[in-house]
Amino acid sequence: MTRRVLVAAAMLAVAAALTGQDFGKAYSFPERKPHSRVEAVIDKLLPSIVKVHGASGLRTIEAYGTGIIVSKQGHVLTLEQVMIQKDRTRVVLYDGSVHMAELLPEEPSLGVRLLKIDPKEVDGELQPLWPPTDAAPLYRTGQFVVSLGNCFRLAEFSEKVSATFGVVVGRANTALRYRMSDVKYDGDLILTDACNNPGQYGGGLFTLDGRWIGFNCRLLDAKETNTTISAAIPSRDLLPYLDEWVNGKVTAVQAVVKKPVYTGVHLFEQPGRSSPPAYVDQVTADSPAARLGLRPDDLILRLDEFSVRSCKEFRDVLARFAPGQTVKVLWKRGNEVLDGAMILAADRQ
Amino acid sequence: MRTLVRQCWPLLVMTLTTALRAQQADPDEFVALEPVLRAALQKAAPFTVTIETVGGARRVLKESDGANDGQGDTPPKPTPPPQTPPQPAPDDGKDKKKPQLQLQQPGFHQNQGRTTGVVLTADGWILVSRFALNFDPSTITVTLADGRTLPAVRKGEDTSRGIALVKIAATGLTPAEFVPPPDVKVGQWAFALGRTFGVDEPTVHIGIVSAVRRQFGRALQIDAYTSPANYGGPVVDVLGRVLGIAVPLSPAGRDAGVEWYDSGIGFAATIADIPELIDRMQHGEVLHRGWLGVTSETKYLGPGAKLMAVPATGVAAKAGLHKGDIIQEIDGVPVANSFHLQMLVSSHMGGDAIALKVRQASDDAPVDMTVILADTPFEERQQKKDAELPPSFPLPEKK
Repeated sequence: MTRRVLVAAAMLAVAAALTGQDFGKAYSFPERKPHSRVEAVIDKLLPSIVKVHGASGLRTIEAYGTGIIVSKQGHVLTLEQVMIQKDRTRVVLYDGSVHMAELLPEEPSLGVRLLKIDPKEVDGELQPLWPPTDAAPLYRTGQFVVSLGNCFRLAEFSEKVSATFGVVVGRANTALRYRMSDVKYDGDLILTDACNNPGQYGGGLFTLDGRWIGFNCRLLDAKETNTTISAAIPSRDLLPYLDEWVNGKVTAVQAVVKKPVYTGVHLFEQPGRSSPPAYVDQVTADSPAARLGLRPDDLILRLDEFSVRSCKEFRDVLARFAPGQTVKVLWKRGNEVLDGAMILAADRQ
Repeated sequence: MRTLVRQCWPLLVMTLTTALRAQQADPDEFVALEPVLRAALQKAAPFTVTIETVGGARRVLKESDGANDGQGDTPPKPTPPPQTPPQPAPDDGKDKKKPQLQLQQPGFHQNQGRTTGVVLTADGWILVSRFALNFDPSTITVTLADGRTLPAVRKGEDTSRGIALVKIAATGLTPAEFVPPPDVKVGQWAFALGRTFGVDEPTVHIGIVSAVRRQFGRALQIDAYTSPANYGGPVVDVLGRVLGIAVPLSPAGRDAGVEWYDSGIGFAATIADIPELIDRMQHGEVLHRGWLGVTSETKYLGPGAKLMAVPATGVAAKAGLHKGDIIQEIDGVPVANSFHLQMLVSSHMGGDAIALKVRQASDDAPVDMTVILADTPFEERQQKKDAELPPSFPLPEKK
């Protein structure tokens, strides 16, 4: 025992003497130069990825995540989550330095939030990834990608976040669920098989030429398939929010207050039961549904891209639309599948 | 300059050698796979279709409830006459002890989602995963690559491969090209395609063939992620030819075997080698793995397999097998031991006739006999009931 400690101490002393560094950095030995594109791109991007720590408390809440530096002034983009609390949120940079973060307003439609650290306290200059490239085509199915993030809080202090490798599996616009609750997110998602685990979210998805294409979401369930998906928000969708809070350029987007829509469809449903398939019970005369030609006993299958497998899903999907919008309806009558466009009206109530 | 070259020549040589060596082993070589993958994707896109289901029995049982769907003691069925749907099992009274059905929160709502299918023929036969029809949905639709959605009729299935057939009224479809299993090699690229998120292009997961001839010669194992999002979808090679149909088949779990989704252990049922089974499925037959129904002595190390138990009602007893008999050959293949017997029998389908050479306990001269295999009973297909895995749900059989 004693001998082992002595040997270890001696080895450490030698290591310290050789590297001339303190104990904390003794194991951050110089790495070899990158040989491949994957290695090179990870090397280049790692200094822009930070670890984010926040308020903990509940066992089910991970008090860690990842962020991406988006400005030299100290803006850090991360995923909005419970642990992000005022005066409790810390950002750990590539070099291991810890910085208290100020909270900027979140972007609820994307579920992201900007943090701000003081650049004067940073040793050297921040290396922002900005702006996310908006060159088209941004990504395509089957493209190789690298995902960076602090999965399972494996990286502490100056340890580097984890890199995972995979392909772009595809693009999805699907209804989403997180644990047992619905997620309000309307845009496209990039699906990938580069592993996305707790903590990896808030990190980024990059092509092998170093383009930032996606911002890792937390693990969500896709309602279309009822599977957990590894997904990222396309980074170009973040541009308006980043522009507003980093560059002060407010894009004139009026917050649209969604009014409930009216279709004139009455589904066959009994209260208190699990929601049955969306069979039409009645159609109000001179309503959008009547103009479409829906009839009692038709089974509604899909609204635009969204599957409708129950009466509840019919209502949930309809809530995504606004009066005046046209929705493509797919329904089954007898042994035929029919489709048509329905112009939604405003709910009179 | 000359002096410089003279002084530095060892360095120059070294740099050149390093450059050459780097050229020989290019770590970026794999990037060339990307266009290959794109081409395979485009080749496979026209025959990769979306399957959607609505309705059906939503029964979710706990394992402890003995959820055998009343099919546990299906008596062995004699040779099913081809082109006739199998008869429902007669009620043998065991069903009366009905287990208390207890609803529980499932890990995910199985089958209540989109899955994928593959166009088998130009005239509207579509291969799907049995998983898609898990709860006997009242409505099945197929959305083709061109965006048309058509109602589908459920036809036959093969429970041993986890595949099923549905038929749509369409012509002029682009059918898939299937690779014969002998042409598949472990280590070759395997791309698992799905079409579930309703966009123009199929989704893709990449991997390699991990093993061949799994599930007694019925499936390939792949490490590309498979999940309900791409079950039923094609697993294609670099040329976009179909190696197999992605299916949940984990042998450790229950029939559906979905516990292993996205785990890197995926299965692709092979198709090119079973034209006669496809034909039977097109006639609505439900096919199962073959079942001899005997127990062999594992302590008897061979040659041959010594029978420990031969149930009196089974096909083996009817054919004249007894306890203590030693099966020496099946279809002319010498049986090495009891595991070999299992392999030889299980590679057959129910209803297949197999020729046995048996040394009967009472006699020294081997006897030839023919056994028509039964279908593997439902609870046997579920395998380990207390597997250390989250519970999945029994598949109601098509009646």
